[in-house]
Amino acid sequence: MNLWVYSLLIFVTVVGLLITPLLITYFIGRNRWELARTIRHLIWIYGRVWLLIITPFVDFKREGLTSEQVPENCVFVVNHLSFFDTYFIGALPNSDLTFAVRSWPFKMFWYRIFMRLAQYLEVEDLSWEETLRIGGEILNKGGAVVFFPEGHRSRSGQLQRFYSGAFKLAIASGRPIVPLCICGTDELLPPGRRYLKPATVRLHILPTVDNADYSEIGGHIRLRKEVKGQIARQLELMRADGYSADNGEQ
Amino acid sequence: MTEQEIIETINAALVEEFELDAADMKPELSIYQDLGLDSLDTVDMVIVLEGAFKFKIREEAEIKQIRTLGDIHKFVQRKLNAEA
Repeated sequence: MNLWVYSLLIFVTVVGLLITPLLITYFIGRNRWELARTIRHLIWIYGRVWLLIITPFVDFKREGLTSEQVPENCVFVVNHLSFFDTYFIGALPNSDLTFAVRSWPFKMFWYRIFMRLAQYLEVEDLSWEETLRIGGEILNKGGAVVFFPEGHRSRSGQLQRFYSGAFKLAIASGRPIVPLCICGTDELLPPGRRYLKPATVRLHILPTVDNADYSEIGGHIRLRKEVKGQIARQLELMRADGYSADNGEQ
Repeated sequence: MTEQEIIETINAALVEEFELDAADMKPELSIYQDLGLDSLDTVDMVIVLEGAFKFKIREEAEIKQIRTLGDIHKFVQRKLNAEA
């Protein structure tokens, strides 16, 4: 499994790097997108290719991820268990996804230029005002911003403290929050391990949370608690619903 | 506002914003090592304190020197005294 997945991933990454200029030209010509939007689409395709690569080893269940159920113009918040969580976000039907990330992913030089061209929000280096402005612009243009509000991968599998940035951005921009729950990626590749293991991965979308009722001062805290509660309850259900059993861990 | 009220206001605001345990709010604790805050939280901490006390502190260089919860208490008290 590891030989297959890592070899193909490296191959796809290298080929992708080589043909990116052609793909950029093609998509800009065809869709009249700006460069950042085009790069985000290419990254989304890369995520889709990842889903194909891991198909023989990962039973991936998409729960509610149809175009009708997933809004395009919103702030997604996702729990975080594994390095590969971001790759599974490629299962969303919309490709205009801007990730809010910490500084360390930018150290992966083979991804760095694409993350910068895609205008990913480097939340540790940008001031809050810049994050809010750039995030707001992306949302105003019809895109979506993806946050991992825990900030780090969970090493225990349990939800960690949530940062407030996603919720403040949603309220400031007037866009809804869409909670996503992912489980099983900690079986595939938890923090601290380098080899992959077969797993059942589930990505579940929860109902959109409108932020109109959270506009008071400090409303982001109430919104954060509400969304975190929803994600925690759903994860409990998902874990109780046989995901551990699927992996032979009763 | 008495000194005790200021401390309680700070502690309550930080507990709420950063999902901290109220029992951990001891002045000698490091906000980074003991309370688990990090560089991202520093910005939020400033916003929370500005909201709680209705002052502007984001340009204050002294914020970068804050290490413990007690440092925050003293900083806010000094700021409020200066504005009184």
